[in-house]
Amino acid sequence: DSHIQYERVGADVTMKCGSMDWDAAVTWTANGTDIDESHLNGSYLILKNVDLSQSGQYSCYEGSSWHLKYQTYLRVGTPPKEPVLMCRSNNYPKGFYCSWHLPTPTYIPNSFNISVIHGTKDMVCEKDAVPKNRCHIRLLQLFSTVKYKVTLTVTNALGKNFTTLTFDEFAIVKPDPPESVVAKPVPNNPRRLEVSWQNPSSWPDPESFPLKFFLRYRPLILDQWQHVELSDGTSHTITDAYAGKEYIIQVAAKDTDIGTWSDWSVAVHATPWTEEPKHLTTEAQITETTSASTSSFMAPPTTKICDKGAVVGS
Amino acid sequence: MAAADSPSAALRRRDLCSRGIRLAGKMRADVVDLLDAYVEQQGLDASASVAAVEGVPLAAVERWDEQTGTQRLLENLAAYRAFRALLAQMLEEQREQLGEADAGLGRALAAVLLQVSAFTYHLEELLRLESRGIPGEEEDGPPAPPRLSLFEQKLRGLGVLRELAQWAVRSVRDLRQLAKPSPAPGAAPGLAESP
Repeated sequence: DSHIQYERVGADVTMKCGSMDWDAAVTWTANGTDIDESHLNGSYLILKNVDLSQSGQYSCYEGSSWHLKYQTYLRVGTPPKEPVLMCRSNNYPKGFYCSWHLPTPTYIPNSFNISVIHGTKDMVCEKDAVPKNRCHIRLLQLFSTVKYKVTLTVTNALGKNFTTLTFDEFAIVKPDPPESVVAKPVPNNPRRLEVSWQNPSSWPDPESFPLKFFLRYRPLILDQWQHVELSDGTSHTITDAYAGKEYIIQVAAKDTDIGTWSDWSVAVHATPWTEEPKHLTTEAQITETTSASTSSFMAPPTTKICDKGAVVGS
Repeated sequence: MAAADSPSAALRRRDLCSRGIRLAGKMRADVVDLLDAYVEQQGLDASASVAAVEGVPLAAVERWDEQTGTQRLLENLAAYRAFRALLAQMLEEQREQLGEADAGLGRALAAVLLQVSAFTYHLEELLRLESRGIPGEEEDGPPAPPRLSLFEQKLRGLGVLRELAQWAVRSVRDLRQLAKPSPAPGAAPGLAESP
């Protein structure tokens, strides 16, 4: 009989040759290769302190007739550790999703079971086809003070573990980053950059559930970001840019009333408008051009005071 | 059906809604601060689960997006009238128990009560604008609560403030729905479409 045998890393494994007696003459193979007699105790195969590399197909043949008497597929692995579970609503108020992963691999198949309870009500967590370890829950009730309790249980042949999350509806609201961020120079304005973006497409009803935004920008040559919080609208004009310096710009979003900030958007780069150099021919003009460029680096503007405690998703 | 929206009524409604949104937003911020102070000073556990307290209007609602504008206003009005009475009672209990020791908490409670009263009046204004009859007060006043122990009073207070914080967010959302221009036929009803 052929079947799968699961064993923990480090375990000592003994395999009998099916119904053969202890003292019967047999041959053992691992993935088709004969196993040295030193691993045998009579007709039993003894594997000490197994490791992952010893996973494979083990077969036992009767000594003279070479009849296959026993075959098993050995899977060496570990019991699951406590899974890491995260729940979030990036499409509030439609619903929220929960996703999970194991902190370390088990090397053998695991099965996950998730239960979502709101007060006394069991809620269905519909598994997403992709990504695998994720499911989503429709919010049937809004503005509830009753907490949600999500329990994830992971089981494999070597053990079982679980984790539980308890949270309020509002606490898990975190939009996706803004999309289509564009930054452009403003003609004839050497210190301005026009930035525009769009609400994340996953946010279903920005009119009833408006987002506010956080813009950060800095010249590539400096490390210090400048921030500005915008309570509405999806564009902003930076008016204190260093003339002629390339800028990196990102935007984050948050529901106006609840939840936490999104991660930063994809970074965009832009350089403020600069005057076209005049077409000069004489030596003087070249000198004049050189001296003009060293004076364009002006004193840094005051940093705008961010909103107290506004911490954007990392 | 409410009278078709005249431009001035629509403008007036939008103005009332946007002021109401700001008022509810401020109220929520103050209630959240008050909640933190209340939990701390009453020696409660912030994560404690508080069963639904009788007489406290629950903000939780199903199919919220399908509500008509009038439903939103009437449910808000009933809730804030109830909160007005509940907060007044909490204030009274506060003064009986603690005297000067927690004057700060009392003042914060009184300030929130003032905002709840103002918001209640605001809702009545909106209903008047819709030439809707304003339900009488006695229909909404919460039943006199049974005599509670000190700890039960504290837990009830926690429940009241938690629900009020949720209601404030719900009200902001409701008013945003009301502020939307009258939807095309067949879409989710706004105020003008109320039955």
